[in-house]
Amino acid sequence: MDPSEVEFLAEKETVKIIPNFSLDKIYLIGGDLGPFNPGLPVDVPLWLALNLKQRQKCRIIPPEWMDVEKLEEMRELERKEEAFTPVPSPFYMELTKLLLNHASDNIPKADEIRTLVKDVWDTRIAKLRLSADSFISQQEAHAKLDNLTLMEINTIREFLLDSLNCMYKLRSNLQPGSSKGQYVDF
Amino acid sequence: MFCEKAVELIRELHRISDGQLPAFNEDGLRQVLQEMEALYDQNQADVNEAKSEGRAELIPSIKVRHCCLLRDQRCVTAYLYDRLLRIRALRWEYGSVLPANVRFHMCAEENFRMTIVVLSQLQWFSQYKKSLASFMRSLGGGEGLDITQDMKPPKSLYIEVRCLKDHGEFEIDDGTVILLKKNSQVVLGVAWDILSCVCVMSVSLCPQHFLPRWKCEQLIRQGVLEHVVS
Amino acid sequence: MSDVLSDAGSDSNHDDSQEDVMTPAELIAKLEEAWLNEKFSPELLENKSEVVECVMEQLTHMEANLQRVKKGDAKASVHRMEIDRIRFVLSSYLRSRLQKIEKFFPHVLEREKSRGEGEPSLLSPEEFAFAKEYLANTETYLKAVALKRMPPNLQTVDMLKAVPEPCLDSFVFLRVKERQENILVEPETDDQREYVVDLEEGSQHLMRYRTIAPLVSSGAVQLI
Repeated sequence: MDPSEVEFLAEKETVKIIPNFSLDKIYLIGGDLGPFNPGLPVDVPLWLALNLKQRQKCRIIPPEWMDVEKLEEMRELERKEEAFTPVPSPFYMELTKLLLNHASDNIPKADEIRTLVKDVWDTRIAKLRLSADSFISQQEAHAKLDNLTLMEINTIREFLLDSLNCMYKLRSNLQPGSSKGQYVDF
Repeated sequence: MFCEKAVELIRELHRISDGQLPAFNEDGLRQVLQEMEALYDQNQADVNEAKSEGRAELIPSIKVRHCCLLRDQRCVTAYLYDRLLRIRALRWEYGSVLPANVRFHMCAEENFRMTIVVLSQLQWFSQYKKSLASFMRSLGGGEGLDITQDMKPPKSLYIEVRCLKDHGEFEIDDGTVILLKKNSQVVLGVAWDILSCVCVMSVSLCPQHFLPRWKCEQLIRQGVLEHVVS
Repeated sequence: MSDVLSDAGSDSNHDDSQEDVMTPAELIAKLEEAWLNEKFSPELLENKSEVVECVMEQLTHMEANLQRVKKGDAKASVHRMEIDRIRFVLSSYLRSRLQKIEKFFPHVLEREKSRGEGEPSLLSPEEFAFAKEYLANTETYLKAVALKRMPPNLQTVDMLKAVPEPCLDSFVFLRVKERQENILVEPETDDQREYVVDLEEGSQHLMRYRTIAPLVSSGAVQLI
């Protein structure tokens, strides 16, 4: 999956904005939005929030977890635990990236937050590589992957799945008669 | 060695990266076909002899030749099929009308001849375009949807693009003509504000133009425009 | 503010009796599920023509409404953004399917041929037409360029043997939507034993597609 597609899914997440305009309720195919009143917080999908922000029509309120103290706790826990700890949003990385790139003026201590989230991400990706490695070397047939986000899975998807398929092919060719070979007669 | 030529065809494909369409190796194909003919003739002769004179010792070499024939056939088919996949990719890459230089690669060796190979490739391509078009037209109970557009998730970003080539004058759907000049920098608003259009604002000249999103995607794919990543 | 848009999303579900259970929002969710499943499944899944048709109807309906709106309408731009997003998912979904149809065309057609009566069809009518044409077109080309010039006993190729089948033993990532008990996990090597796992709702797993293929079609798990 292309990372831009994961980001596309992340843009469906809801964020709170404070609009500076007024507009009636909008009846979208995917559900209703609004009404919008200047100064009154309202929930919108991230794609809309970013568009309004770019046109200077709103202020985005960062999600609660996007906070230095909370993220520090998260980072410590992530480093301490061997397993993947629960994340505050299934799209925490993409949300951070999108919000910091387009609305950093609405996010207090943006730089610290960027670093913290990056630390959490790095720790988790390191764990993920270790688990992938042991999955392959132990020749496991099943793994539980709770708390992993789509973006994290996406970083190893191709490499891991290709390797597993390759090994499977090599292994099944070792056993005579087991290959349902396409070119039996060659 | 038998099958050497056929395997060489496959090797040739491996050397060429995805997305490229090399000139068709008609000579290679001819040589494989000649080898096949020779193998077949020999087998015919041996089979007759084995039958009429009961020479069972001929059977192993008949079998070997037959295996070679199958392998030749397999390699040639794989070679041809791989070309189809590359030709198919052109439709998705460039749209239904191919740029001249690409068209050239599809058809020609040094001196253009309308050989059977060339003709068949062109026929396959035009039939593929037809099938795809009628598939897309019939989608959603006949409403139609062009699925060769919207290749990337929509983004409400203002992106900067650079013109990589002198593309010359370019007429936009609204009738205005803009000049896509090499190295000129342009801001494209992937504008959701205007019916899935892209708004083109030349940095130097201020007037705004609109061109449909798919057209913009296409120009980027054709290498006329490049997304400037800041 | 334009009235034409005031109920654009919610009224277009008409009174079609069998559809009245699904709201437009649920319809879009269905499309997104189908999109991800199709993207990650090694084989072509059952077609979702009804979903495709309903989504296209929604889009057309919305676009028709937007035609009647003045330029620069603030709501209209939001609607257009949404339309773009939905159209992307729809196109991407249909593209994934078409790619698999092209990749596995002899097998896809074979399955369609051997399908029992009443069994749901793998291909939509337009996909079926496309697959048949693709097969015929390709056979014609191979014949004209080479096969015709080969010895008499080698002038045909069995496409079912020549084109690789989808590899159902591929691993996939999945999230469980409805709890499942006793899913048998086959051993990878001779010195391992098979065992069973329970798939808890909301949990995520990595395992062979073959094991859970029926759960993908039934909607009990979502590929991710």
